Amino acid sequence: MKKIGILIRKEMLDILRDKKTLIMMILVPIVLYPLLIIGMTLVLNSVMSTSEEVSYTVGFDGEYADVVADLQEVMAQDSEEFDEDVEFLAMDEGGSSAVLDATLRFETDSDGRLRAEITYDSTAMNSAHVCRMLEDAVEGYRQKLVVEGLAKLDLDEDFLHPIICTTVDEVSEAESFGVSIGGSIGMMLIVMILMGALYPAIDTTAGEKERGTLETLLTLPVTNFQMIFSKFVSVAIIACVTALLSLISLAGSVLFLIFGVAGDMVVEFGFSATAMVGALPMLFLTMLVTALLSSALCMCFCVFAKSFKEANNYVTPLLLVVMIASMAGMLPSVELDQRTVLIPIVNVSLMMKQVLSQQFSFVLAGVANLVNLCVSILIIWFLAKMYDSENILFADGFRSFRLFVRRSDVKKGTVPDNGDVMLAVTVLFLLMIYVGSAASARLGFWGTAVTQLMILAVPLLLVWYMKSDVKTLFSLNAPRKGTVLGSVLLYLGTYCLIMVLSVALMVLFPESMENVELAFSPIAEQPFVFILLVVALMPAVGEEFLFRGLMFGSIRANWLKRHPKEPAVKGAVYAILISAAVFGVFHMSLAKFFTTFLLGALFAYIVYRTGSIYVTMGLHFVNNAVSMAVMKYPEAVGKVLPFLMEEELSMVEIVGLLAAGVVLAGLGFMLLGKKKE
Amino acid sequence: MIEVRGLCKEFERSRKAERTAGKAKKQRVKKETFLAVDHVSIEACEGEIIGILGPNGAGKTTLLRMMGMLMSPTGGEVVLTDEEGNEIAELTQKKAAIGYLSGNTKLYPRFSVREYLQFLGELYGFDKDMVRKRSEEIFKVLDMEGFADNRIEKLSTGQTQRASIARCLMADPQVYILDEPTLGLDILSADAIIHFMREQKERGKTVLYSTHYLEEAQILCDRIYMIRDGRIVAHGTPAALMQQTGTDNLRAAFHVLYDTEGAR
Repeated sequence: MKKIGILIRKEMLDILRDKKTLIMMILVPIVLYPLLIIGMTLVLNSVMSTSEEVSYTVGFDGEYADVVADLQEVMAQDSEEFDEDVEFLAMDEGGSSAVLDATLRFETDSDGRLRAEITYDSTAMNSAHVCRMLEDAVEGYRQKLVVEGLAKLDLDEDFLHPIICTTVDEVSEAESFGVSIGGSIGMMLIVMILMGALYPAIDTTAGEKERGTLETLLTLPVTNFQMIFSKFVSVAIIACVTALLSLISLAGSVLFLIFGVAGDMVVEFGFSATAMVGALPMLFLTMLVTALLSSALCMCFCVFAKSFKEANNYVTPLLLVVMIASMAGMLPSVELDQRTVLIPIVNVSLMMKQVLSQQFSFVLAGVANLVNLCVSILIIWFLAKMYDSENILFADGFRSFRLFVRRSDVKKGTVPDNGDVMLAVTVLFLLMIYVGSAASARLGFWGTAVTQLMILAVPLLLVWYMKSDVKTLFSLNAPRKGTVLGSVLLYLGTYCLIMVLSVALMVLFPESMENVELAFSPIAEQPFVFILLVVALMPAVGEEFLFRGLMFGSIRANWLKRHPKEPAVKGAVYAILISAAVFGVFHMSLAKFFTTFLLGALFAYIVYRTGSIYVTMGLHFVNNAVSMAVMKYPEAVGKVLPFLMEEELSMVEIVGLLAAGVVLAGLGFMLLGKKKE
Repeated sequence: MIEVRGLCKEFERSRKAERTAGKAKKQRVKKETFLAVDHVSIEACEGEIIGILGPNGAGKTTLLRMMGMLMSPTGGEVVLTDEEGNEIAELTQKKAAIGYLSGNTKLYPRFSVREYLQFLGELYGFDKDMVRKRSEEIFKVLDMEGFADNRIEKLSTGQTQRASIARCLMADPQVYILDEPTLGLDILSADAIIHFMREQKERGKTVLYSTHYLEEAQILCDRIYMIRDGRIVAHGTPAALMQQTGTDNLRAAFHVLYDTEGAR
């Protein structure tokens, strides 16, 4: 940890002394953005003000001079609508149209109707403008004729309008402001962060290689992970600072515009900054995570390059892809939902749009950040592996590197290291989000089974690949004698405590508890056998393999290997806590975290004590089966175990449960503890 | 002490199929593996200077990189033992016990020598004040006080070389591995390096170094390993090598050794 600190200090100093980075980081945001924005607005303003003074010329057939005169009369009557001068010029056949903004031709068809045709140039601003004016004028003239005609028939104008339709825009001005500019601000922010990350990323990877200092760095007593992690953190810090500076300078320019040159334009939108204050922490977090993600992305490409030039080549496609992805916010119909939230970069862009239009969902924003964080971790893991490979350093770029050890090179009985385990969980997590949610959407209830199969498959694949000794790693043993009773008692006791805890949590997070119930409602419709199979049996096997088998087993084995002299209990505690924490996070619910954590720790402890995963599989099955039974047959369960059904517990019940829990868990502990080898 | 047992390094090289004339269509790039270092065993004890000699492409650099923990061997092992004779097992500790210096180990150009040594020292786990004190000592010994605060990119070749030596001294490793350290240096700078190696030998350190300058190796080395195509052709003290080949200097011995080996 200390070494990482020293390395980060060194990287920062090195980066900050590079002129190119400094220019990108400070000069561009502070000078270029205001110049661009203010300059653009000024130019736009001057264009608009010159266009106001222009008078338009429209050519027409001399034949229909009387119609044109009527049109002019209409325009003169409504001076608000037609506030600019339009000069009508009668033109002969084949007359030049070079000086005309538009031409107006009339024709009387066989029914005696007058047809007007406006010819204009859609690329010229004046021509398009006058075209619209003429259209309005003709429409006005039509109405006038209609009213006159009706008057002849002794009819009122209202005769034509037996029904009147009006539309009201529900969206507040602030919201429409967000939709219209939120997307582009999101895109600008993403590109700014990426730009900020780009140069330091190149400098610390390809630059270091080019300067020949990487080989020196490799001679130092630091691990590859420390090296790549400190580089990554430094790049991310620079990216954040750049983004912050850009944001400040952007905001400054906009404020300058509001209070200076073009005040009315912006104020018109009625955009209230105060409403955004609540979203600020999430925005800040998003910026941080985006900085991490773009740093990781940049470094991922630059690592392969041997020189600045090469790195620039590699990064160009990345830039293009990110730019396009970040434009998602500008598409009108694309919103941040359960699917778009899963695409990195795109989700940030859409989130920015949401924030600025003040329809902000904390849950979706949180998921978006979680996804981006996962992707970043994955990339960094990948990078650490890459730096491991000396080919990257001594051979040419992409050629002949191997990310994974070839399976034939894996020694038999290898324990996956902690990084491998975490990678498996991250991959699984992403799989669940992408494949799992797609499967659920398509297959409904059976989609859950797909997810469960993935949970089962990932750990099994990993241990197959690593040729691990599954029996030891997964504790596939019969339980030690006399430990089963202790485990059951301990489980029952903990269950009592968890019940009290979840009632307490229900008070704290009422909404998310409702969400949980909502999520289970489609399941309750299925036959109970299926429910037992998919929601109780499959998780009992898959999750136990993953968390108690792979994770607890590997982390503990690795700890023991690394600390041969320390007491083995410490390793077990360490492995129990970590596997339980991941188990808790894995269930993707803030409210359920504490209870699942407790349950995860309990199961890991039982595996540790009994030496058998079958015990926890059984308990896990029972645990899920009971809660499914409660869901499916509330009345029947209520008769047998009434306290399971109650939303609120009375004081007596709480005390009773607590006491029962402590007694049972204590008994269980005693029974399990006694059977120490 | 550093010991190398049956060290191998397999590289992949791609070669265009040679028989293009006969089968013009089959111009596939053929990948083949070869051993750049082929079962090399070396032993180097405290207070020894070991020379690794051989023509270009013999595998010297690959061998030294593996010994310096920059590359991982595909076969065999590098065993490091500390002064008490205990084996050093962990990679970072191994790296800390080895000072590796070659033409490719450049220093951060945007740092001053002083900053660089400070960074290094802290990385090796010394506390700040101690690092400061040691830096001063090193500057004095290497006569670097005049340019210790200049950025490394502004230094001359000789000054940079001294900064590199300072880098190694800061870590004060057990074993020095120097890959052609005197290559391309003027006489003064080269002499500084040679002086440095002698001094480390007197301090009981192990020095391994590769060079093309045979006269230099003849006077400097306690023992010499001659390498060709990744294999050790001959080894022994300079005197023994000369005796074995019946020559009176190492250059002549070199020619004899490589000719006989090539003739076989």
